This record gives sequence, C-alpha cells and structure tokens, in this order.
Amino acid sequence: MKKPLFQNTNVMTGLFFTALALLLLFVWIPLDSDTGLIEKVRRQVAIGDALAPTVAALFLLIGGGLLMLLEGKSDTPPAIDAASVKFVARIFAMLVLSFVLMRYAGPLAVQVVNAIQGNDLEYRLLRDTAPWKWLGYVLGGTLAICGTISLTEGRFSLRALVVALLAIAAMIAIFDLPFDDLLLPPNGDL
Amino acid sequence: MMGTLDYIWLGVLAVFQGPELFSIFGLPISITLLMILCGFLLGIVVGATPGLAGPVAMAISLPILISVFGYTPDALLPVMGFLIGIMKGATIGGAVPAILFNTPGTPDAYMTTLDGYPMAQKGHAKKALRVAHFASVSGDTFSDVVLVICAPFLALLVEQYLDLPEKTALLILSLSFIAAAVGGSAAKGLISTGLGLLVAFIGTGADFYPRLSMGTEALSQGITLGPAILGVLIIGAVFHELAGQWRHRDVVSRPVPQIEIGSDRLSLGDVRKLMPYIGRSAIVGTMVGALPGIGSTLAATIGYTMGQRRHEKIAKPDEPAFGEGAMEGIAATEAANSSVSGANLIPVLSLGIPGNTAAVFLILAADSIGGFNPGPSVFKFTTDAVNPELVIAFGLFTAMFVANFLNWTIGGLFMRSMGIMARVPKQLLLPVVLLLTLTAIYVQETRLEVIWFTLAFGLLGYGMRLLAISPLPFVIAFILGGKLEATARQAFDATGSDPFFLLNNPIAAAFMVLSVAIIFLASRKKPESK
Repeated sequence: MKKPLFQNTNVMTGLFFTALALLLLFVWIPLDSDTGLIEKVRRQVAIGDALAPTVAALFLLIGGGLLMLLEGKSDTPPAIDAASVKFVARIFAMLVLSFVLMRYAGPLAVQVVNAIQGNDLEYRLLRDTAPWKWLGYVLGGTLAICGTISLTEGRFSLRALVVALLAIAAMIAIFDLPFDDLLLPPNGDL
Repeated sequence: MMGTLDYIWLGVLAVFQGPELFSIFGLPISITLLMILCGFLLGIVVGATPGLAGPVAMAISLPILISVFGYTPDALLPVMGFLIGIMKGATIGGAVPAILFNTPGTPDAYMTTLDGYPMAQKGHAKKALRVAHFASVSGDTFSDVVLVICAPFLALLVEQYLDLPEKTALLILSLSFIAAAVGGSAAKGLISTGLGLLVAFIGTGADFYPRLSMGTEALSQGITLGPAILGVLIIGAVFHELAGQWRHRDVVSRPVPQIEIGSDRLSLGDVRKLMPYIGRSAIVGTMVGALPGIGSTLAATIGYTMGQRRHEKIAKPDEPAFGEGAMEGIAATEAANSSVSGANLIPVLSLGIPGNTAAVFLILAADSIGGFNPGPSVFKFTTDAVNPELVIAFGLFTAMFVANFLNWTIGGLFMRSMGIMARVPKQLLLPVVLLLTLTAIYVQETRLEVIWFTLAFGLLGYGMRLLAISPLPFVIAFILGGKLEATARQAFDATGSDPFFLLNNPIAAAFMVLSVAIIFLASRKKPESK
C-alpha cells in the first residue's frame, strides 16, 4: 500500500500556486523588472516589462484559486506516492553526478597522464581528438544509463552495463563519427 | 505574375525536384522524398514501441537533421518532411502493440485494444491490423484534404479581418481554450499556461535589463525553446515512466502470449461495412483536431462511442459487439485518432498557434532553421514576386500527401512486421532515450548549462504529471508568450496607448468575453478523475 504524501493534493497545489503568484506579483516582478506595468518614453505611454509577467502571475493566481475552491473537495485528487518522489530524486541526483563526471573526467585524465609522463598536454586542444574526446562522454554516459537502469530494477546487472556501453557506442556513431562540426558533451564547454 | 496554381506547383516541385540524392532509371529522387520515407518508417517503429512516441523521435532527430542540412532555407522541407513522416508513421504504429499485446503504443490507441486484442485472441490479428491500417490512413488522408483547403482560407480571413488588437485577443482566446480543454481541469490548465508564460518572459523584455533574471548570467539570456520543451515533454515523461516501472519492479511480468497473426484479408464487403464508421470518425477527428490543444485521445473516445451507438442499432445478432472483437470498433477508433493529425496543423499553419506536440516540433524546426514563420503571413499570395514561405507551405502539404501515399502502399506491410517492438523492456529503453535526448540538446547548443536547464524542466514536467497537470498548455504558452507580448505592445502603440484596446473593438471584445466564458464553463464541469 503506497503512502500518500499529502491528504488533498489539489488543495496543496492550489495553495502553492496562489502563494507563488502572490510572491511574483508583490516581490519578484516589482524587484526584478526595470520598468513597471506601463512606462512613459518621450511623452508616449508604452507597455512596460512588468506587465507580461504580471499576466502570467494572474493566470497562476486564478488557476490556484479555482483549484482550491472548485476542486479542493474532489473525490479523486491525484495521489502522490512519497516513495516514487524519492526514487525520482535519486535518479535526478545520479544524473547530476553522471554529468559532473562527464564534465571533469577528460581534463582529469589529461592531468594524470601529464603527471605520469611529464607531458604538457591540454584537454582543450585534445577535445576533438579520439579517444580523449570520448572519455568523459563514455564514463558519464555509462554511469547515467547503467545507474538509471540499476536504480529502476533495484539491482545492478551486467545486462545494464552492456546496454549502457552499446547505447553509448551507438550515440557516438550517430552524433560524432559522421559530423565534423558536432561536439559531444562536455567538449563544447572546454 | 504568380497565381495560386503556380504556388501549388512550385510547392510540389520543391519536394520532387529539390536537391537530388540519386536517380533510379534516370528518375531523380530528391532528398526530401527520402527524408519523408525515413521519417515515416521511423515513426512506425517508435509508434509501435510502448514508452516511445512521435515526439521522442522528433526531439532526438531534430538536432541531427539540422547538423546534416544546416541553417539554410533548403533545409526546411527535408527536415520538416522527416518530422511529418514521423508524425504519420507514429499514428499507425501505435495500433500494433494495442492489437497484438493489449498494450497501446501511443495513448490514443487505448480504445484500439478494446476490440483489437479480442480479435487477435480469436486468431484474426492480421485482419485487425489491416482494419486499423485502412481506417487510420483513410482518416489521415481526409484530414489532410481538409487542412489543405481550410488553412489558407483561415489565414486569409485572419489577415483580412483581424488587426493587432484582435490578433492579441485571439492569442489570449487560444491560450484560455487550451487551458480549459487540455487535461480535464481548467484550473490546472490555467496553472500550466501561467507557468509557460512566466518561463517565456524570463530574461526577455524591451528594457536593457533582462527582467526576472535575478541578476544572473544564466537567466539573463532567457530560456531557449529546446531545454524547456524537451525537458517538460520528454524528460518529464521519462521520469514519470521510470517511476512507474520502479513501483512495479517486483511484479513478475506474465510472458506475452504469442498471437497467431492469421492470414485473413480485408474483403470489399468488409470495407463497405467499415466505411460509415470511418467516415463519421474522420469527421469528428478532423473537427476535434482543428481546435488547438484537444488531443487525439478525446477524438478516439468520441469516435468509438459514436461507432458503438451505431453498431448497437444495426448489428446482426451473430456479429461481435463493441469490446468483444468488433472490427468496426477498431475502425472507429483509428479513423478518429488519425484524422486529428492533419487537422491539428490548421491552427499552426494558419494562425501560428500550435495545437499538439507534433506542431510544437514543427515550430521548433522552423524556429531553429529560420526562413519560415508559421502563421497567417505565410499565405500571402503575392503576384509580383514569389513568396518563399508560401512555397514551403505548399511543399509541406505535398510532403503530407507523399507520406499518405507511402502509408497506403508500404505502411501496412511495415506496420504488421513491428510486433517485436512491444517486447523491448521499457526500463532499458527509457534511460537510453533520456541520454539520447540530453545529448541531442547539447550538440545543438554546446553548453552544459542547457543540460542542467533540461533536467530542471524535466523535474517540472514530472511534478506536473504527478499533480495531473497537463504539460501541453505549458509548452504552447511558452511558445506563444513572446508573440503575445509583442503583438500586445504593437496593438497598444497602434491604438494610441489605449488601455482598453482589447475591449473597444467588437471582435477583440468578443474574443475576450469568449476567453473568460470558456474558463468559467470549463471550471463548472466536474473535473475528470485521474
């Protein structure tokens, strides 16, 4: 039996978006826009930068209000299962970790090789040279796919690793091998 | 002097005589034709794979296609032809697992399972697939004909009768209609629309300081279309599906029974029997599809219910009832959901308002490549000089009919061989789709920042699905946000800074009253249970 996170999700959702709309209307929009709802430019009145986000906030306010008032007592509000939310949080954290690994694996490997061989290589100059350009993508991508499969299945399996490696090889074949002008992550940033 | 027929002919030639790829017996085959074929076959594959759908294939293909064809107007037809091929292929592909394995490949194929699977269990799987294919292609072709006739006329009407205040009010009406119609809860639709507008307004504006950027470099450049749309639509859906897979990880899956495909054909008598169901469903689906935001699932439900009523009245006692393996049930569903796809392009091509995810990706492609801005200005039949956008529009219509031709000829055969795709385990497929989508976004924008943005929007998309808030109004509002503000600014200036410019004009005022009335009426109706 799954444990619901909130008793009435519609009321909570309505409340959240009403509060967000009020925050937008009275704090974020006034403090973070240089012009108001309307502005005077050379004696001409024009629409200011704050008007459009105010309309967006009004949509949220009306939507949140209607949700609380009209659907708050719905017999079938969406049930939120706390365990599923935690699972997605774990997947998200694992993906962040994968992309951090993807970002730093290549430059780190170059530094290690430099330290061992006494070279003066720079990853930036190698970012379009095999196998350096694939290092971060292979490591980070494998962790992302294999980790996500393992978390979903609740166990690590060799099958997950093989699927990840094959998928990464296929993606390199699709995005990198045929195109000179495409850079796999993270090589465009380095 | 250019006439209407000249434009149509130029559009046809743009598809058939575009850049040549190779020739068969001296007959040149243009790259656009090949791209339509590839997109169509890929569409059938993804449509037949539960957990994948047309939008996923479009999201992944778009950056690759743009890399291949570049950012020139010559790229528009091959790229958009490919996307149209996917859209049409995925529509028929969704019926395959629905019939063979009782698992709809796409959400709108759910009603197909009701009669398709019982037919398959009785040994008539091949006939069920043939019925689904015939009904689907008939509905789709009908819908395309309506699109070709209606879109230019609607665009001309808009250009002739609507000025800036009315266009602003029309955009607001579209947003409120989508908010009210999508997802079954007007309140949640408004929230989704509000979020989409808010995100569209971050880091933009007329002033030197990029509004709502909190002084940060990342937000001051604004949020680009790719991360927001793909994050909410694709990554959010992947997170949601993965959570579902994880929840049921301990459930021992029953082996999928091997269905005997059978060999029965669709006779002329069968076709005659099916046509009234297909005709009605095609009309319903086309009408539903022409309204932005209402999806093919609703069209399928209406088509099926109408077909069921008719069947109850006229069916012979020995014929199976709807839900027990009636081929009329498959025909009614498939004709309805397939006839949505063509009509769905009416609002996008004539008004610039995307009504479904396929239209969103066509806009994304047009926006990325440049040289084609879907909207009423496309249909300017200039006589002294060629309007290249109009040629592209007729090229797109031609591409749709080419895809239909492929669908009539090879679609059925290819579709019937796709049963294997339903056996691909989702928990292995979805993580690959996730990384593929993120890689596709990165190679287009080459900044790790876009990955973080996409993941963040993926979380937003997951949260929205968790709370039963449809992400489609978010995406459409995000696309239309900039256009709404620009039109409103122009209308305000053009009316001499009249603060009541939306109410002083009768058409604009009528649109505004309708916008409020739609939300009011939709809020009063009991929300659909989820």
